[in-house]
Amino acid sequence: MKNDEKLKAMWNKAEKMMGASDYNVPSIEQFISGRSNDTAQRIKNMIVFDIVLKLLGLAALAIDFILYFGTTNVMIVTLAGIALLIPLVFYQQKLLNHFNGAADNGQSTRDKLASMLTYLKTAFFTTLLSISITYLFVFIAGSLAYFYAAYGYVRTLDGVDFLVFAGFIAIGIVFNFIVNQAQVKYHVKHLELCLSDLNDKSLELVSENIELQRKQDRTNKLLLGLVVIVGFVLLIAVFMNIGAAG
Amino acid sequence: MTKKPNKKAFSELIGKHQAIIHKVTLVYTNGRVDREDLFQEICLQLWKAYPNFRGEAKFSTWMYRVALNTAISTIRKSRNTPGFEHLADHDGVMDENREEAEQLKQLYTAISKLNRIDKAMILMWLDEKSYEEIASIMGTSKNNVSVKLVRIKRKLEELVLEIEKQES
Repeated sequence: MKNDEKLKAMWNKAEKMMGASDYNVPSIEQFISGRSNDTAQRIKNMIVFDIVLKLLGLAALAIDFILYFGTTNVMIVTLAGIALLIPLVFYQQKLLNHFNGAADNGQSTRDKLASMLTYLKTAFFTTLLSISITYLFVFIAGSLAYFYAAYGYVRTLDGVDFLVFAGFIAIGIVFNFIVNQAQVKYHVKHLELCLSDLNDKSLELVSENIELQRKQDRTNKLLLGLVVIVGFVLLIAVFMNIGAAG
Repeated sequence: MTKKPNKKAFSELIGKHQAIIHKVTLVYTNGRVDREDLFQEICLQLWKAYPNFRGEAKFSTWMYRVALNTAISTIRKSRNTPGFEHLADHDGVMDENREEAEQLKQLYTAISKLNRIDKAMILMWLDEKSYEEIASIMGTSKNNVSVKLVRIKRKLEELVLEIEKQES
């Protein structure tokens, strides 16, 4: 092997030999206006899309409240939905800010790898849970609007109807979890490998931090789990037509 | 927090320092298509990260950090055939000094066999960055950089020898 200086001099010629050509300003301007394909951007898009969907669900529930004004039980269901969705929108916004911080490429490499790994191993599950809840509320809001447009009241559904609708929602939630978890699992492995390559102790320290975060995040998961249960109760309330006689 | 400049002014700034991005893409990709993709992704990430640039480090150091973080954390399927065919594309250059080009090809092949973190460290070392600067970009200690670079250089040496053997 050549000495260090010769190696460096040789490397300086690499650029020319590899044929890397300079880009002009309009080309670079076009690049920064493009769309990113990396995992972080996909997760960010997923959270932003969920916030938009939650806001749409909120708007739909508000419209349902007006449409069913006077039907006490349906009004209670829509108000309960709105009361649960508003804090969830803020919570998801908080998760988005947390994620933006974790995904910031301006940090040192160790911090970037560690914060992304910590997010994916702790808060990502909470993010998915929060996204799953949206399906429930959007479905409730949509069903109420559909019933109003089609029948003018909440139609009674039998047991089979209920099973089919609830089944579809459950499948949607589970499918969302499986697809995202599989994608993230691969990314987690990659981050762990890079961290351990950086320094043997890095991964160890991050693992301790992850355990701490997991404990702190437990309350959030419990609260979100509770919202899922309340959401399902609301769904049953709508489908069992408790509001029709309201 | 830095005020976001307009796209044209920022593109001019990147244009001035684009050699850094070229060096990073050279190390982390296998061919022209992947290289252009990564170049584009790095430009985009620089633009996104710029509002958080506080000017504590030199712009070029910050640029190195963003470029390397993007290259290290981006998982992509290669759209090129693995290998270094693009070196052979430049036969004109190679003919001028075939031996030098051959050595460079061996060095490049050896670097491509390193893991992503080692690639980042050797790239910065080859680019004359100080141990302090490498440590700051990587978020590790100066001592760790020094120890790792000794190992990486030894590993590179072994890899180059191995490649030389295979080619002869």
